[in-house]
Amino acid sequence: MKKNLQWKIILVLSVIALSIFLAYPPGQKIQLGLDLKGGMHLVLQVVTDDAINTETDQEIIRLQERMKKNDISYSSITKSEDRIGRIILQGFDVTKEREVRDLLDEYFNEWDNSVTGSNATLTIKASAATYFRDQAVRQSIETIRNRVDELGLSEIPIQRQGGPTGERIIVELPGVEDPDRVKDILKTTAQLEWRLVYAGPAPDQETLLVEHGGTVPIEMEILPGDPRRNLGGNYYLVSRVSTVSGKDLRDARRSYDEWNNPAVSFRLSPEAGRRFYKFTSDNLQKPLCVILDKKIINVATIEDRISDTGIIRGFSNPDIVDDLTIALRAGALPATIKYLEERTIGPSLGADSIRKGLISIIIALILIFVFMVFYYKIAGINAVSALILNILILAGALAYFKAHLTLPGIAGIILTIGMAVDANVLVFERIREELNQGKSVLSAIASGFSRAFKTILDANVTTIIAAIFLFQFGTGPIRGFAITLIIGITASMFTAVFVSRLIFDVSFSKKKQRTKLSI
Amino acid sequence: MQIFKKPNFQFMKYKFIALGISAVVIAIGLINISAGKGLNMGVDFAGGTLVQIRFKSVIPIEELRQSLGEADLGASKIQEVEKGEREYIIRTMLPEEAEDQELEAHVLMGNMVVDALKTQEDQSAVASGMQDLNVIERDRLRTLIASSFPENAETSADAIINLRQSAELKGIIESFDQLEQAGIDAEVLDTLKDKTFLGSMTIKRRETVGPQVGQELREKAAQATVWALIGMLIYIGIRFKFAYGVAAIFTLAHDILVTVGILSLTNREINLPVIAAIMTIVGYSLNDTIVIFDRVRDNLKTLRKLDFESLLDASINQTLSRTVITSGTTFLTVGTLFIFGGEVINDFAFTMIIGVITGTYSSIYMSCSMLTFWKKIFKPKKGLGK
Repeated sequence: MKKNLQWKIILVLSVIALSIFLAYPPGQKIQLGLDLKGGMHLVLQVVTDDAINTETDQEIIRLQERMKKNDISYSSITKSEDRIGRIILQGFDVTKEREVRDLLDEYFNEWDNSVTGSNATLTIKASAATYFRDQAVRQSIETIRNRVDELGLSEIPIQRQGGPTGERIIVELPGVEDPDRVKDILKTTAQLEWRLVYAGPAPDQETLLVEHGGTVPIEMEILPGDPRRNLGGNYYLVSRVSTVSGKDLRDARRSYDEWNNPAVSFRLSPEAGRRFYKFTSDNLQKPLCVILDKKIINVATIEDRISDTGIIRGFSNPDIVDDLTIALRAGALPATIKYLEERTIGPSLGADSIRKGLISIIIALILIFVFMVFYYKIAGINAVSALILNILILAGALAYFKAHLTLPGIAGIILTIGMAVDANVLVFERIREELNQGKSVLSAIASGFSRAFKTILDANVTTIIAAIFLFQFGTGPIRGFAITLIIGITASMFTAVFVSRLIFDVSFSKKKQRTKLSI
Repeated sequence: MQIFKKPNFQFMKYKFIALGISAVVIAIGLINISAGKGLNMGVDFAGGTLVQIRFKSVIPIEELRQSLGEADLGASKIQEVEKGEREYIIRTMLPEEAEDQELEAHVLMGNMVVDALKTQEDQSAVASGMQDLNVIERDRLRTLIASSFPENAETSADAIINLRQSAELKGIIESFDQLEQAGIDAEVLDTLKDKTFLGSMTIKRRETVGPQVGQELREKAAQATVWALIGMLIYIGIRFKFAYGVAAIFTLAHDILVTVGILSLTNREINLPVIAAIMTIVGYSLNDTIVIFDRVRDNLKTLRKLDFESLLDASINQTLSRTVITSGTTFLTVGTLFIFGGEVINDFAFTMIIGVITGTYSSIYMSCSMLTFWKKIFKPKKGLGK
């Protein structure tokens, strides 16, 4: 046997061995996409306007304090309703315009200000807004990651979409069986606060304000009761600032109160514990409420001093408590999130798709085998061997690149099976033509391969171009299709040209005379 | 074996008939798209929600339509999956005016569909604090069983969930008898009957796409197609003469128009996999075209005496076996996928079948006809023979 033939055989055998090594056992080595394994693909939008609004609220309080400190009178400070991130200061003492300008320039340098007459507007600077929005997205990703961990799912890819200014988050959760529950847990803002109650409950806002002459005092606000916890339809007048909040939590667990109703037991940080102790000491016998996401979930009188541990009552269902404690432990979201896209595949449908995909692959293979052997006889067996090797390489490459096999990906494999034999067909038809022209078997094979190669290359490159752009612009399952097509077609050039040729060469090198070719 | 011993068909003689047929097919398709049924945009592109539901018992499609109609979801499209009136795909599109409204309108709509189909028994069972055994997660089921039977909670829960997901049950347990037959402990079963119920349906798939995402997916699909076409044009421009590139692009445009037209006529849904199929067809059809052009290029050197049309005929005939066989093998595999691949991939497979047929036809008729027209109009000195 010729030496260069030996090397080629070794090369092909090592490719086979490598592919098997990479892909065996396929159940473990080849990763399945969510559409086959079952799971949930979510695209979330962080409503970063919330973060700007929060910032604006804080700045309004700061501005009120500053104005008071500098003894400048004014009629109102409000948040603009037309434009996000704008504060409107109205009716300040015009004789102190200089001071107002200085104050705004000195203490509010992240805000552009314009002063006209006795009014001033502050607008958040673009750079500051970008910063707050970015922080909100980063913090949201962190919180979602924590919540996913709390759900007991590990190594979940959570990506930010759209580069450094993107406001979208993609979460891929495999094996989710109750998608609604998971969606609720991820979405809960989980902003927990303890605040003093000044008045309430009352069925409408006017009743609450009778004592205060119809307007809400600056240090207070009106919040609704949570309808899910039997406080629906009620309003309370509560303090605007919270003494302790979810940020101060060190732990939150499910427990039961003395009537065996589900409750959340919490533990605060030592510093917050001291704050809470002082606060409860000062306000004994006053009503205190627990607020979750701007809704009041529980109101109780402070009977005793509380330091760093306590429980929150007011839940009917232990599952709600479970889900809430998960969210609380993971931390609050800095902004509301909304679902832009959801794709959930149940595990039974995924398993069904795998079964049907495999059946299709097997039937397609058998059909091609039968056809090729029937049409090209022994040369057909050659082509079939090349095809089997092609699929082996495809499996190995999928495992090596850790590409996810998706249902369209399986379709890509099936398509590859049909299209990969094209290279063999091109070569075989050329060989037949050369034989018809009276060439000898060996030279017909040689010129068949060499003349067909150029055509094979041109023809396959175009399909690969299409697949590359599909990969570039596609998402999840479509990428899976593009990648199997790219690998399959590339591999077909190797198997149908190099390996097929080698099989011919090897089978003809043993005997000297070769006058007949079964093709 | 050989299909064609020595084929000598005069393809170019019939080019006007072929072009006429193509023109008619494309025209019917375009008329149907613009004035008839239009394109059936799936949730991927139009925004909306798709819910695939399997019911515990047989529910006729009319009953389903009625329940949805009562919930103001009468415009939903209902499609039966497999025979037996047990499993359906329900698609509900966002109304046009909802586009700029609520960010999560599509999610709410998905919930509405599901709620509309829940039976009263389901709702009252949930209200009384019972868990739906056809929805419950593995972990929760374990916890539930463990509260009464700490020892075998894990094995029982696993057995129940695995039974639910088996190929026979396809996601829904129909009766407690089935659990008994599967060997679930009688005591455990009693507890389950007490604390859980068998919900009337299970959601096997849910896809909701908001209007913004739908819009973006449309743009991405268009970009991918345009860039792929440009990429191919450049490649052919490098490898062949310009006239061949133009002819190839005409062919591809023909393929896309015919396929989209047929998708419109058959009212098939246009979704992401269908776009992938169309792009694959583009690549596949070009593959065929190139094989023929490649032969034309060779023959221009060897068959100098032949006039151009005869040379084209000769080239097509020489590659005819290959064209038919490759189309045949691809057709076989795509056909297999169409028949055995299941519901989720069906639109993709259908599009591929249309594409394989169109692509084969067009690389023979469209691409070569275009070359003759180019020759007649521009009369180039080189590259298009005598």
